[in-house]
Amino acid sequence: MTIGMRGLHVYILLAAAALALVFADRLSSYWMHVAIIAMFYGILASSWSLLAGYVGLFSLGHMAFASIGGYTSGLLVQWYGIPIPLGMLAGIAVCCALGGVIGWVCLRMSGPYLAIFTLGFAEIVRIIFATEDDITSGMAGLHVERLFDTPSRLPYFYAAFALLAVSLLLMGLIVRSRWGLFLRAIREDEQAASASGVAVARFRILIFAIASGFAGLAGGFYGHYIGILTPSLGGLDFMAVLVVMTVLGGMERLPTAVGGAFAVEFLLEILRGYGQWRLPLFGLLLLLTMRFARNGLLAPLWLQFVRLGESPAVTATAAQDVPQKEPGL
Amino acid sequence: MSAAAELLRGAGLVKRFGGIVANDAVDFAVGEGDLVGLIGPNGSGKTTLINVLTGHLAPDGGQVVLRGRPMRGAAAHVYAAMGVARTFQLTQLFARMTVLENLLVPGLTRPGSTWQAVARRARTTLEFLNLAHLEQLHAKNLSGGQQKLLELGRCLMLEPAILFLDEPFAGVHPHLRDGLIKRIQELHSAGRTFVVVDHDMESILRVSQRLVVMARGRKIADGPPAEVREDQAVLAAYAGL
Repeated sequence: MTIGMRGLHVYILLAAAALALVFADRLSSYWMHVAIIAMFYGILASSWSLLAGYVGLFSLGHMAFASIGGYTSGLLVQWYGIPIPLGMLAGIAVCCALGGVIGWVCLRMSGPYLAIFTLGFAEIVRIIFATEDDITSGMAGLHVERLFDTPSRLPYFYAAFALLAVSLLLMGLIVRSRWGLFLRAIREDEQAASASGVAVARFRILIFAIASGFAGLAGGFYGHYIGILTPSLGGLDFMAVLVVMTVLGGMERLPTAVGGAFAVEFLLEILRGYGQWRLPLFGLLLLLTMRFARNGLLAPLWLQFVRLGESPAVTATAAQDVPQKEPGL
Repeated sequence: MSAAAELLRGAGLVKRFGGIVANDAVDFAVGEGDLVGLIGPNGSGKTTLINVLTGHLAPDGGQVVLRGRPMRGAAAHVYAAMGVARTFQLTQLFARMTVLENLLVPGLTRPGSTWQAVARRARTTLEFLNLAHLEQLHAKNLSGGQQKLLELGRCLMLEPAILFLDEPFAGVHPHLRDGLIKRIQELHSAGRTFVVVDHDMESILRVSQRLVVMARGRKIADGPPAEVREDQAVLAAYAGL
């Protein structure tokens, strides 16, 4: 094995992605739907890991932003007849702005205080969508124009794939740049980061806005895929699922968070025969993960995977997260 | 200290926590190239004064003037950008980041910095601090003394005009402490300005050219170490009188 094989994992991932795209049409409609929803959760889990894993901001309002993104896009398309991609962009913009405001309001909050504040925000959003019948159709659900005028799920599969890939690319650029280093420094010690010259308040607001924007993107896609939006999308149930996915996978890395989303979504379907009993299983898994593997169940596997093809000497000296250079944004 | 060489001044600084006055109208000035020792009994307000002088706490009264510019409640990162670096009483590192990354963070906050140049300078700094062999280790795995050195290194990456070291010798093995004193003296000889807070009188007398003493939130003495040591108010404060 030579040092020239470093980065083998990237080629393997690209090959797997190409295979998934080529053979996607062989999936049954049911499993294709599961894959699309897994990719929807993949965007949410990775963007939530930006907040909770990289910066340590344990927000419980992430699904509320997905809901806001979905309703914004759905309503604008319905009212003004604008193209759906433009509606989704508007949803992202609204979520970025609102996320920035929430980030600013929460500047001095962390831990349980931030979690409770954002939970309160999510409930307010959910209740507004549920009670404003004239605008959102309340609990009956808002009918949203579908992204593609076809009964086939295949175009949605490709769209979800593209959105997830672009989201991961953008988030990856952020976490591998100096910004990523600053965000992790803030997570470790805000006071020390500030003493090191990091504009902590600015970065906290910025990352709230960015993560909320990705949630808005996922929500917009979800609405235009499913065709109906209900206020429950922004509720605690969906948020709990997102937390389980991200924490089980590993919330301090984007790929493990996405892996968690895929693993939980597919397991939920595979274990559907067990009805409600599959849900306590995930609760139990979450408890065990928090007790024995706080970095997530997939983190050790991912670390082994990224070192595929490296010589033993390189593997021994390589620190798991040391950026060797700045890739730039 | 001449007025022309003044680098940083705290004028009439007041800081209260509830009913406790931690800093009571404290005047504190540091000139270019000074090496000031700041001492005082526990609870005398030394760390609060450093927090105010480095932007980590906003004063309730008085003001901080840095290079002639009133800071008016500026955030700590603004002070850092203007060349004010500090360590903490209880070492505060980026525990789950590597030794090298701990130094990259401040280096990369500098305007115009490039990743390669900062990494090169970080490695030079680690060599100066005898930590080069540990660069890939997580900071939490260093010994207490090594952590103090790394915190000093993090300050140096800011290319600071002035360094505030809060109890740099506390809990440090004598061998490492001597190394730390040597590094401070070398950096001072190279033109750096220091304010060092510590309880270790022997160490602080070895490094400082000027001694400032605080008691009950007030500055009670300020002058050459030999004079201050004989000051009756200082002796009384240390005797708890």
